[in-house]
Amino acid sequence: MEPPLTTAPDDFDYERALHGCARGERHALQEIYQQDSRHLLGVALRIVRQRQQAEDVVHDAFMNIWTQAASFDARRGSGRGWIYSVVRNLALNAVRNGAREVSVDEETAEALDAQHSLEAHAEVADAFDLRVSLGKLNDCLARLEPARRNCILYAYVDGCSHGEIAKRTQTPLGTVKAWIQRSMGSLRECMA
Amino acid sequence: MNTQQGFPSTDDLAAEYVLGTLSATRRRMVEQRLPTDAALQAAVHSWQEQLLPLAALAEPVEPSEALWQRIDRSVAHAVAPRRAAILAAPPPWWDRLGLWRGLAGAGFATAAILASVLVTRQGGYDMLPAGPQYMVVLVAPQDKAPGWVVQASDTRQLSLTALGTVALPAEKSLQFWTKGEGWNGPVSLGLVKPGQTITIPLDKLPPLQPNQLFELTLEPVNGSPINRPTGPIQFIGRAVKVL
Repeated sequence: MEPPLTTAPDDFDYERALHGCARGERHALQEIYQQDSRHLLGVALRIVRQRQQAEDVVHDAFMNIWTQAASFDARRGSGRGWIYSVVRNLALNAVRNGAREVSVDEETAEALDAQHSLEAHAEVADAFDLRVSLGKLNDCLARLEPARRNCILYAYVDGCSHGEIAKRTQTPLGTVKAWIQRSMGSLRECMA
Repeated sequence: MNTQQGFPSTDDLAAEYVLGTLSATRRRMVEQRLPTDAALQAAVHSWQEQLLPLAALAEPVEPSEALWQRIDRSVAHAVAPRRAAILAAPPPWWDRLGLWRGLAGAGFATAAILASVLVTRQGGYDMLPAGPQYMVVLVAPQDKAPGWVVQASDTRQLSLTALGTVALPAEKSLQFWTKGEGWNGPVSLGLVKPGQTITIPLDKLPPLQPNQLFELTLEPVNGSPINRPTGPIQFIGRAVKVL
């Protein structure tokens, strides 16, 4: 059966497709590709920032999905979440393993601590358009100050390291680390 | 986060692993712990699900025409997925250990079961040479499915046995590494092919020790260019002394 080109994530049966891959059914892998390759390439490209490298990540991810589909366990999470994690982990490993130099070394960034005060961040605009439906996560993110929310989104969506976020937001590295740590704690409580 | 001693809590570590802000070293540490740390696994899975909606913030990008063709080619050239391969082949003795999957988190128990099976296969204890025996079951980080077994009948050489066959992406190879307590970093034991069984002399390394780390990582076709692991861990395990 030919799947339609675009199926809402809620309607596409990721678990069934992954089980198909585990049984060696190549059309099951192709269904996942048709369903999500545009989104997965978008996710990879935001993190690695080079088109060819992003396609390499998606290629490697689909190989991993194909070879490791049997290891997917629906009791531990959704099929869609598993697939996106495969892509994100490959992309993050690629940039963290040195493909992208951290723009600010830790000492330089720590030195920014002396130069900046938190007052500089009183007026911060949202860097991300959160109109997309994020469900409960949206409500929880909304409780964070925009500057802190931006740190979380720069990290997750753009694959930024602490140092890169410090540079991008002109915020001392120690502050960025503390914000992220506390924001994740707040999200954890809010999502619970 | 309790970072005073540099040891964040399991959930803090999982949160920043999924968020992506951990350094390469910390990411590797998490990936090494995942197969055997059920609490960390649960925390990572939970964060993956909770943050997944944020993936929608990355605008979709149309892949090149060539990308699917390239994936399809790699899949065609790759051997069948692990489970399919095992089911298709005449069941070897270790296929009974498909029940291993039920032993999630029980790495030591798995090793012990496997050791007893191997001992049985080899005709009993009296056929084994004297001295320390080491056994490592190398499992896939994500699901702990066993993929390879390392056995050492003495501390000077070891054998690496494939329990099935795995598909490799085009232009990639599997590189075998080990790291003992106090070593500066992993030492390469060479490239291995999927499904291969090889014997490796250890004469240039310190004697095997309990808990010594073994792993197979995905590397460029001629191996890591910098003589330390650069690619994702495919299989990982620690040496267990048996007998």
